[in-house]
Formats: sequence, C-alpha cells, structure tokens
Amino acid sequence: MFKRFISLQWKQFRRSSYFEAAIAIKILMVLGILYFGGIAILSGVGGYFLLQKVFPEVDPLLTLNQFLIYWILFDLGLRYFIQQMPVINIKPLLIVPIKRKKVVQFLLGKTAISFFNILPLLFFIPFSITLIVKGYHPLYVIAWFLGILSLIFLNNFTVYLINKTNVYFILIVGLVLAFIGLQRYEIFDITTYAQVFFFGMYSQPIWVLLPVLLMILAFYANYQYYLQHFYIDGAISKKAEKVKALNLKFVDKFGKIAPFLKNDIKLILRNARPKQVLLTSFFFLFYGLFFFTMDVYKDSPALLAFASMFITGGFLLTFGQLVPSWDSEYYKLMMSQNVPYREYLKSKLVLMIFAVVVSTILSLPYLYFGWDIYKLILAGASFNIGLNSFITLYGGALNRVPVELNAKAKAFQNTNGFNVTQLLISLPKILGPIIIFFIPYYFISFNAGIITLALSGLLGLIFQNQFLNLIEKLYQKQKYKTIAAFDEKK
Amino acid sequence: MINISNISKAYNGVEVLNVEELNIPKGQNFGLVGNNGAGKTTMFSLLLDLIKPTTGEITNGDIVVSQSEDWKPYTSAFIDESFLIGYLTPEEYFYFIGDLRGVEKSEVDELLAGFEDFFHDEILNQKKYLRDLSKGNQKKVGIVSALIGNPEVIILDEPFANLDPTTQIRLKKILSELTQQQQTTVLISSHDLMHVTDVCKRIVVLEKGKVVKDIKTNEATLKELEQYFSQ
Repeated sequence: MFKRFISLQWKQFRRSSYFEAAIAIKILMVLGILYFGGIAILSGVGGYFLLQKVFPEVDPLLTLNQFLIYWILFDLGLRYFIQQMPVINIKPLLIVPIKRKKVVQFLLGKTAISFFNILPLLFFIPFSITLIVKGYHPLYVIAWFLGILSLIFLNNFTVYLINKTNVYFILIVGLVLAFIGLQRYEIFDITTYAQVFFFGMYSQPIWVLLPVLLMILAFYANYQYYLQHFYIDGAISKKAEKVKALNLKFVDKFGKIAPFLKNDIKLILRNARPKQVLLTSFFFLFYGLFFFTMDVYKDSPALLAFASMFITGGFLLTFGQLVPSWDSEYYKLMMSQNVPYREYLKSKLVLMIFAVVVSTILSLPYLYFGWDIYKLILAGASFNIGLNSFITLYGGALNRVPVELNAKAKAFQNTNGFNVTQLLISLPKILGPIIIFFIPYYFISFNAGIITLALSGLLGLIFQNQFLNLIEKLYQKQKYKTIAAFDEKK
Repeated sequence: MINISNISKAYNGVEVLNVEELNIPKGQNFGLVGNNGAGKTTMFSLLLDLIKPTTGEITNGDIVVSQSEDWKPYTSAFIDESFLIGYLTPEEYFYFIGDLRGVEKSEVDELLAGFEDFFHDEILNQKKYLRDLSKGNQKKVGIVSALIGNPEVIILDEPFANLDPTTQIRLKKILSELTQQQQTTVLISSHDLMHVTDVCKRIVVLEKGKVVKDIKTNEATLKELEQYFSQ
C-alpha cells in the first residue's frame, strides 16, 4: 500500500507545472542544495576544531552541548514558519477501502524526509565521526547522536501539533528572548542547565531515553490528531462567516488604482493566508534584536545593513513575493476583464510602501541602539521602497504558485507557497543592500555607505516607469503560463 | 463581430480544436453544442485569449485578441467559478466589475434592480461572501456580472448548468432579450439541446474539435440535433 502512495506522491510532484521550470532554475536548485549540504558537512567536520580553537580550555563537545538548547528552539521557530504538513489529496482516499491508519502513517512518515531533518544530520553525522576519531567513546557518541536524532524528529513532529495557533510561536520567541536577556545580564544562564542534559546524553547514556520517549509521544499525538481529523474539513458543518463591512471611501482618493486597492485591502483582511503574512511581517520588526545585541555583528556593518532592510521590509517581502499569486483563484477573470497591469501593480506597490513606512515608525525604539543603527534602518527603508519593491514584484511574477487564500489551519489541505524558486529570487533582495552598503563603506566611510544605500532607493523612484514597464512586459510574456499554473488544482 | 480563421489548438501534438472559418455577425445569438471534450471551453478560452492558439487567429471587432487587449472593454464573460472573487460579497463584486468597466455605482444598482426576479432574494443583502454561496447562486452572480457595462460581446460557458428550473426559464428570457436590438452578440455553450434551440438563432455542433454542423435555428432543429447526438 505504501508503495502505491509513494508512486502517487511522485506523480503529483513530477507532473506539477512548478517542476517543469526552466533548466537554469533546476541547475541553480541543485547548486543551492549542494551549497547548503556542503556547508553543513564542512562545519560538521570542522566544527570540532573550530570550537576547540575558540574555547581552548573547554571540551568542544561540552561547548556544543551548551548552545544546543538555542539551536533546538531556533530550529523549532524556523520550522514553525516554513515546514508544513505535506499535502495529500484525501478526498478520493476517503471512500475507497484503505485503512485510514495507513494513510496517516504514510503521511507522518513522509514528513521525515524533509530539508529540516536532513540538513542537521549532514552536520551531526560528520561531527560524531570526528568525535570518535578524536578518541571519544564510540558507544557513548552513538548514544549522544541518537539523542540528537530524536530531538530533531521531536521538533519535526511537535511543529505540526503547535502550528495551528500562533500562541505557541509567541511563546517560543518570548522564551528565546527571555533566555538571551537573562543570560546577557547574568541573572540566569539556561545554557549551563541545558548543558547538563545534553552532555548527559553522552556521559550517562540513560538520558537518551528522555528525548526518545518524547519523540515517540509526539509522533503518537500527531497520529491520533490526524486520525481524528481525517475528514474533508468543514464539509459536514460548513458555517458561513459573518461579513465584515468595511468603509473604504477614503481609498477613492487614490483615483484610478482605487478599485484595486479596495480589493487588496479586503483580500488581506478577509482571508486566512494573507492574515498569516501580516502577522509574520510584524515579527520581522524584531529581527534587529538578534543582530544588534550580538557583539559578533558589531564589526560587520554590512550584515547590519542587511538586518536593517529586514526590519522594515517584512510585509514588502512576504506579501510582494506572492504577487500575482494572491489573485490566482480568480486570475482568469483578471485576464479577461479590462484590467490595466499598471494600475494593478501600483495598487500592490502602494500597500507595500505603506507597510514600509509604518514599520519604519514602529522601529523607532531601535534608537536605543544608537543613532547610527537607526540611520541604517532609515536607509534600508529607502532601499525597500525604491528598489526592493520592484525586485520583489519582478520575482513574484516569476513565482507562479497558486495560493489558496482562505486555507490555513485545515490540516489536509494546506498549500505551501514556499519553494526554491522563491529562495533564488530572494538572493538579490538579500545581497543587494549588503553590496550597495559595503562598497562605499569599505572604500570611504560608514556614512558614505548609508548615503549610498538611501540614494539607491531614490534610483527606484526616478526609474519607476521603466521598472513598471519591465514587470508589465514580464506579465504579458508569461500570461498563458501563469494562467495554466494557477489553474492547477492542489 | 467575431471572426475565427484557421484556428487550432494542440496539447503535446494532440489537436483538440481545429476550426477553419467561422464568422459570428454582430447581434447574433450563437450557441455551441457538443459532447465532453468536443472543444467548447477551449474555443471560449481562445476567444478570451486565456490560452495561446497553436495556429490561426481570432478577431473580435477588428482586433486580433492575442495581439492587443483593446477588445476587453466591450467583451465580457463568465466561464466558471474562477471568474468570481470569493472574499467579496455579491454587491462588492458587482461594483468592482463596474469599476473595471467604467460604470458608476448607481448604474450598477439600476441594472441589479432589473434582476430582482432572477436573484430570487438569495443574492443581494445576504451578508455572505461569494465563496459561501451555493454553486447555483454563484452562477447567477457570474452571469449578471457579465452584463454590467453594456458589453457588445457576451460569452457564457454552460450558463444553464447548476441552475434551478425557474431560473433556467428566466435566464432564457434574459438571453433572448439581449439580442433583440441586434447590438449585443451572445455566445453560449450548453449540453441542454432544448434550451439552446429555444435561445439561439444559430447553433454550431462541435465534435472532436471540428465543426460538424452549422444550423440556422428553425422548428426542425431540435429534432435534428437529437437525432445527431443519439447516433
């Protein structure tokens, strides 16, 4: 039976239009995978020696174990955003004679083959081998590795239990921030306690039972949950939502783009997916806390420039990368009606710029870290408004992932708008501000870097029409492809 | 009004539509019938430039649809639910279409008032989003929205499907009235031979992507069609 599921999944994957991407993208995908995998393996091999060099008087395994708690929490937080239950079309499976248990088991088993599980393994396997080579007791190392393996899968299963509401996410982020804060001001250091446990898995392997048991528990909880929810969501008692009346008269001032703007505002407020994006972009505001509090980054302002771009760019990036996917459900209407691309794009642009302005105001508390930091944030905002907005819209047009607007917490029908194409498109967004800032900073001064970054935004405003023309042409060129891709049912 | 010449559409080398020549004059009430896979929806999608023709071209007015978008202001269509915006209420949707077609809110209201019977109190002022309406009611919204702004060409794919009998009869009346002034060209497709012969002045039968019959509707048409499809 499992064999049949696998062949079904393979067909779905192989035959999706996304997979039939241009050869160039495929090559880049492979390169990307090799790159990340390579880095993981290299740091796995070299990690031991690196730790030995940085903390010469401490056992490297001890040092690693000290910080593992943060890695576990960070991993969980990252999974929370990106890792989704794999989609399997259950409707046809409900009425054929297959045991539901089998389907759920397959589904949960499938989650094991995930980027998030493989990448850490690429680090921990070579690291463990290095340990054995270096004379650590092989059996104890294997026990420790099994513990880590269980923790990876514990995270893997936990995330499906908690990603239905945002409460847990706020809890995790709060916990991490609290731990960092307490550690920084030397009130309470979580890492020393966590170290006892993590190192314990090596020194007294009986500790390993704890993560193994927890992992089994998490698997079983998932199994029960999905077995009980193995129904077409909402089909039995479909409740119509109450309409939220909106008074959007003020939008009429925007003239020609007003009808689109009104629609986009309703789109964001009335659908689950865009609301999720709104929340995500709010968290981007806190991105700076990671960078500005750590001494490591003090001396590399180029990375700080990157962080500053992120602080104000949350909504711009997360919303913009899915234009026009947001309108995928009714894209045929848009393409057969009298819709001028320019007004359509400008409406999205207005929303994105508005979000950057609001984020810039909300990030005023960063003044605490000094005027230099806030100048960087302002310059980053300028880059976002002027250049990043166009880059993101251009990338969005290449994206062509259909988005199910009102699907979020439906366990078996969640679609996932994140893929490698998006990752590749995001490269210029990430490297852009770093390069623009770094070159004048390196050759002239910090302020020169800031001024250049800010001016780069102005460039976008001057060439606004040219940029829009470029994106419009892309829309026209890809019209049939986009319609076909959006037509694909998940 | 609409001129199809040498149009063909093939997917991976398999031809699904091939029409050498078809002229639809202004004001005609045109019906397209055929079994599943005969190419009806493909033809309408080509008319709306939603898919790319493999060969040939279609002109709407004097405009080649795949080369310019200037046909859009006077053409409207409802093919399926993917033409509806699920998170809008019917009113908001009508006004949005009105905005796109340059029709004032008050004019839209006026038009909607004329469809009170057709809506049967299930569409307006219901405080429901389109995604929560039944299939039939969604169809009603889609059909009426295609009439906003006095389009010269109206394309409706299977307008009778999913509608209750009362609404089907009302729709037939609406469609017949549209072409009375000889100003509006209406193109519909249907599996219901009776409805099509009632409404359309001309019926074209497609089979395996080819035009096999082109009939000017008369009393004998229904019989002729029934005979053809029972072969």
